Amino acid sequence: MIYCERVHKKYGKVRALHNVSISCGKGEILGLVGANGAGKTTLFKILLGLVTADNGKVEISGDGAKKIGGIIEKPALYPYLNAHENLRLFAKMQGADFSKIAIEASLEQVGLSLNRTDPVRNFSMGMKQRLGIAVALLNNPSCLLLDEPFSGLDPLGIEALKQLILDLTQQTQMTILISSHIIDVLSTVCTNLSIIHNGEIVQTGATSTILAACTKSYSLCGSDIKKASFLSDYDTISNGDCMTISASATEISEIIFKLSQQQIAITSCRPVLDLQQLFNPKEK
Amino acid sequence: MRLLYIETYKLFRQSRTYYAILALFFIEAIVLLSAYYQGTGIIDIVLANLKDTFYFQGKLLNGNLIIYFILNSFWFHVPLLCMIIVSGMLTTEYQEKTLQTVLMQPVVKWKYLLAKYIVASLFTIFLVLLLALTSFLLSYGIFGKGDLVVYTNGLTFFEHDDAFYRLVYAFLFGTLSLVFFSVVSLTLAVLLKESFKTWIVAALFLIVSTLLLKIDLGNDVWNQIAFFKLNNTWQYFFNHDIEWNTIIINSVLMGLYILVTMLVGLFLFQKKDIG
Amino acid sequence: MKLYGILLLFLYAANGFSQTAEEQVLFIKSRLDSIETFQADIKLHVDISFIKMPDKEALAVFKKGEDLVIKSEDFVLIPKRGLDLSFSELFEYPFMVVDRGEVEGQSTSLMAISILPSDNKADFSVANLHIDTQKQRITWAEINTKKDGAYTLRLTYPDSQAILPTKLDVSFEMDRIRIPLNFAGSDVSIDRKKIREADQKTGKIKLALEYRSIEKTQ
Repeated sequence: MIYCERVHKKYGKVRALHNVSISCGKGEILGLVGANGAGKTTLFKILLGLVTADNGKVEISGDGAKKIGGIIEKPALYPYLNAHENLRLFAKMQGADFSKIAIEASLEQVGLSLNRTDPVRNFSMGMKQRLGIAVALLNNPSCLLLDEPFSGLDPLGIEALKQLILDLTQQTQMTILISSHIIDVLSTVCTNLSIIHNGEIVQTGATSTILAACTKSYSLCGSDIKKASFLSDYDTISNGDCMTISASATEISEIIFKLSQQQIAITSCRPVLDLQQLFNPKEK
Repeated sequence: MRLLYIETYKLFRQSRTYYAILALFFIEAIVLLSAYYQGTGIIDIVLANLKDTFYFQGKLLNGNLIIYFILNSFWFHVPLLCMIIVSGMLTTEYQEKTLQTVLMQPVVKWKYLLAKYIVASLFTIFLVLLLALTSFLLSYGIFGKGDLVVYTNGLTFFEHDDAFYRLVYAFLFGTLSLVFFSVVSLTLAVLLKESFKTWIVAALFLIVSTLLLKIDLGNDVWNQIAFFKLNNTWQYFFNHDIEWNTIIINSVLMGLYILVTMLVGLFLFQKKDIG
Repeated sequence: MKLYGILLLFLYAANGFSQTAEEQVLFIKSRLDSIETFQADIKLHVDISFIKMPDKEALAVFKKGEDLVIKSEDFVLIPKRGLDLSFSELFEYPFMVVDRGEVEGQSTSLMAISILPSDNKADFSVANLHIDTQKQRITWAEINTKKDGAYTLRLTYPDSQAILPTKLDVSFEMDRIRIPLNFAGSDVSIDRKKIREADQKTGKIKLALEYRSIEKTQ
């Protein structure tokens, strides 16, 4: 479990974190959403013990020598060593099993090739991310922190990483905390979300609840969608084959039903988040 | 022990370590060549006065003199290169953020840095041994054996066996100075974190120490204990009568300076946030 | 008449006494000339204030008519002057002998004489010697060379019959020493006062000779 309460951190006059409290239990995936500079990385550094909070309480519970593993920003690995050597080195320094079998198991767990022997400096960002996660998972921590893990990944890479995270939770009941500014991706992985803005947690709750509260419009796409004349009754913005419709969750269901009645095919229906509402829920 | 192994492994897996070693050998070769071409001239100048009164039998341009030349040229470029390599052991980790990755593992912070200090010191000793060994082998191999002549308030001649031991001791005890500079560079890396800043300040420290060596502090006690005054302890081995007491006191003092510098670095590193 | 007789006696005695000094020198010369060759192990001890050197061992090889050859595996300082044990330099050209009388304060009978070369080609201007009249050999010499300053020799013999010494102390004046500072070991403190004091000093080389073989003319 990851728990912190009323954490404050200042760098000189700059307030990085103010009164931040989060909680993530066993088997949960908590998403920390915030813009760049909101304080996500600072919070993660405090949770990982790299930075000391000015005040507040931090608790990381778990079994074993290593309670928490993580990646901060980009995975930092020794570029002149290959994947095996990096894992072996990090395993050895913390007294974990660094046998060939154990290392290969780690590589397989994150979907990396066992045969690649060139140094890590030649790896793509996606491969580095996977290796970074493998390092974070050494010594079987109970908790995992991933700071902006999807940054720099292509769509395939994002999908692969999402699947890996879901597999980890299912297989090991690991507590996972992911930060990102890409809410679309987080919303498909995380069970709960905490929204951080200017160093403060502005809202916390189940992903579906938060997204529903911040969704005021939907983007519907379909090649014949412009033929739906009834859509003129709503506030719409047209963009090629897609139309953004201001509607509630109930209204959008009705719209989709009417479109199906008119045999107008819909290829996607995506909620459009009101970011103002997301980051400033008290302002309406 | 694990950490020591890991630091040694990382040090020798990086190409810059080998560049530094090669650079040192290159400099040593230049010193050897210049000694070969200029050595006779230097000896002629030194012995010019004596030529009126004496014939000289035997050669003074021998392996011992060449090793002495190498030893004299040792005390700037070797610590400078050591400081660059050693400081890089930490600044690179800051730069590449591998330090973060390491400290996210269950590794005790001060122990991690202590391992770096120990490996840095051992690496420095290893470099000196390597240079000393090659100096001795090449110098004796090319120039042969013979008496060593040095000027320390007069001309002092040492027979080969005596010269050999004095040169060996000079290398051994001089190593302490080099270890001190290495430890200082690592402590500077803790403070400054960036490679270039650390190199500049480390080089400045070395230059100032070398300059301060010649200054008379006007006080016998300070002249004895100031760290920059201890860097030429190796010179005492080329006095006719070796002042062992002074050498041992100087070495103990230098050891203390090394220890204090390390403790300062460890304290700061433990206190500082990473990242 | 009486006065004239005493004067004649005095002149005769004086003349006889001068001839004795020259005869002494010539006799010693003949003794020294009888040495054809010798080989000796020598130990050299340098006694110069600004030079510290361990005692060195060398082999001296002498052949009549040639310069003394010193051979050593180590580096040795061989004095340019003073190793002419046969004093052939003094006797190479015609010379005059001047009797200086007895040397005072000595237990053995020592005669002080001066040798003055008659020929300008000689390397020295005057040589002052102490001669052991009983044992017929030179015990001390001060030789003033024309170009290389003066040096003194003190010779010690093993027994009353020996022609060649077993101990030889060569003393000479040393010029100021000039050492290029960049040759000095790094950071050596240069004591300029000490160097200046060392400017005008007498140096000494002490040789101990152990003869392996001495060949004389029959």
